[in-house]
Amino acid sequence: MSAPSAHDVCVIGGGVTGAGIARDLSLRGLSVLLLEKGDWGGGTTGSSSWMIHGGPRYLEFDWDTTRLSCEDAGHIVTIARHMVYRVVFIIPVLPHDKNNIERMETAMEVYDRFQPLKKAHPHVRLTPEEARQVEPGLASDIIGAVTMEEWGVDPHRLVFANVQDAIANGARALNHTRVVDLLRDGGKVIGVRYRGSDGSMSEARAKVVVNATGPWAPEIGRMAGAEVQLRPAKGIHIVYPHRISNFSISCESIDGRDLLMVSHAGFTLLGTTDDDFYGDLDSVDVFQDEVDYLLQAFERVFPAIRDYRPVRTTTGVRPTLFKWRRYEDQLSRKYEVIDHIKEGADGLVTIAGGKLSMYRLMAEETSDAVCTKLGHQAPCVTATRPLPGNEAELEPAAELARRNGVSALAAMRLQSRHGTNADAVLKDVRAGRMVCRCEPITEAELAHASRHEQVRSLADAFRRVGLAAGPCAGAACVMRAAEVIGNELGWSASIRCDAVREFVRGAWLGRVPVLGHSGWAQEELAQGALRGLLN
Amino acid sequence: MRQRSQITTLLELYRPDGISALQPDERERHPKLIGCINCGLCALAAGRMGSVRLPDLAASYMRLYARLGEASSDVEGDSPDLERAAAACPVGVPLPEVAAIVRRLAAG
Repeated sequence: MSAPSAHDVCVIGGGVTGAGIARDLSLRGLSVLLLEKGDWGGGTTGSSSWMIHGGPRYLEFDWDTTRLSCEDAGHIVTIARHMVYRVVFIIPVLPHDKNNIERMETAMEVYDRFQPLKKAHPHVRLTPEEARQVEPGLASDIIGAVTMEEWGVDPHRLVFANVQDAIANGARALNHTRVVDLLRDGGKVIGVRYRGSDGSMSEARAKVVVNATGPWAPEIGRMAGAEVQLRPAKGIHIVYPHRISNFSISCESIDGRDLLMVSHAGFTLLGTTDDDFYGDLDSVDVFQDEVDYLLQAFERVFPAIRDYRPVRTTTGVRPTLFKWRRYEDQLSRKYEVIDHIKEGADGLVTIAGGKLSMYRLMAEETSDAVCTKLGHQAPCVTATRPLPGNEAELEPAAELARRNGVSALAAMRLQSRHGTNADAVLKDVRAGRMVCRCEPITEAELAHASRHEQVRSLADAFRRVGLAAGPCAGAACVMRAAEVIGNELGWSASIRCDAVREFVRGAWLGRVPVLGHSGWAQEELAQGALRGLLN
Repeated sequence: MRQRSQITTLLELYRPDGISALQPDERERHPKLIGCINCGLCALAAGRMGSVRLPDLAASYMRLYARLGEASSDVEGDSPDLERAAAACPVGVPLPEVAAIVRRLAAG
């Protein structure tokens, strides 16, 4: 083992909060080591609904969460202006819904007070005829509708932009690197022992260790003899590889929960569930009845939903703060910064709870606590400093396309991922060659991700640039993608085959629960394209 | 009290975000329009629409159908034999209809 490295702070956990903390602290001039056992945003963050949203339903029982979410969403929308896009909901009201149209509009009028905080517009009320005019797929028995505006974002790109900025400001950030133990001197936590992506063991000394591991926080806490009480809650989404409605749509589940059909740039997410989870956080399955639960709810308001072909499911576990005697849906989304000095584990700070829309604020308060412990005075600048690629206005996509010999659609998608850095990504002779046609993704972008964005597997590429996220689910692109990544990373032919096999097997797990919904034609094609590879 | 209609407000408010509606008959046929599995057979049967390969039209452009105006330059130009391409499709995607919708939405 080599000599331990030394840092002011070691942050464990490369979800959006951990990445945000690393960025904040590095911008305050501290030396930071950020470690993530999987890939950036590969845990709870990546299986979210891809929204920066205020959460109006929390107004009923958790007013502060809505307010703080909206405030911080406003900051995120400012610093990530090219990464975010409006998600506009139509909330149809059916006869016998728990909220009639007057109550629903009253709720939206209250939520309208928070909309300016996140640079969003107030609601609009529609008659049933008007609602079906703007959204012809709505059920014939709706009695009215209101609108609600939120923001959408690619959470993987948001996480990586924070990692990128942290690195640019001196941080060291390692994915596929697992902390196996905390180093202690008496009771005090003085660093970490970790296993790198090559299997080698290393140690790092740090004045403060931040536990930003989401639902895994209790596991890290136990390494220091500290308790972190969470109530992990599983949620699933069904993914359709198209936009299937003009607007996003909200509906009520059979047990009265609020569900969302979210129309993102080129795909739709249906979700979500919310169930106490007691299993293995590294192996969370999606069950058929969870899929059926969601579809049952949506076909009441959008009857054609079962005519569409979902391409996969996603699942994640929320790190909700512990509370006894509450339904999962009624649990607060508050967060807590915990200094474990009282438990005899000085040097360890945990951030627990929260939601994606407040990640920046959570990171700021955690960083404040760390700086206080270190006696370091420096202001937080993350509310105003743009994330990489979001510093200036974008040029028209058509001009970027023309200059680099790619389609305007490819240029648009590239700009959504890289902002003003899109041109630099395309400065590669392979700019005009497509790897993934559904998204679309050029060979240049995939090579760039391998060289500069810590892509180490096809699953990493899926998160970083959306490889295989489209209708073909990788059947048409994974082999070529393995070639491109393999060229950058020095993979042999057998490693490339192993990489494809690993990706296809992993993707299969997310696809199985929805294959019964007209997915078999696609699956037959995919099996044929990859015949022999999986034998 | 009768509420003043807000539908015009809604549509004008979100036009800059490129949220544009499918027409009711398109909406009814939409599941069929986006059934492409990206097998590539239509590309063997017919040429490009503008600079766009036909599989990309159905599997990529038709995915968005909002903000397609920014990609309008891609679909300007000649049309291939879309009927021949549709005949090659194993899942029955009506390519002439898909092409017409993409062109309409890209035109804004």
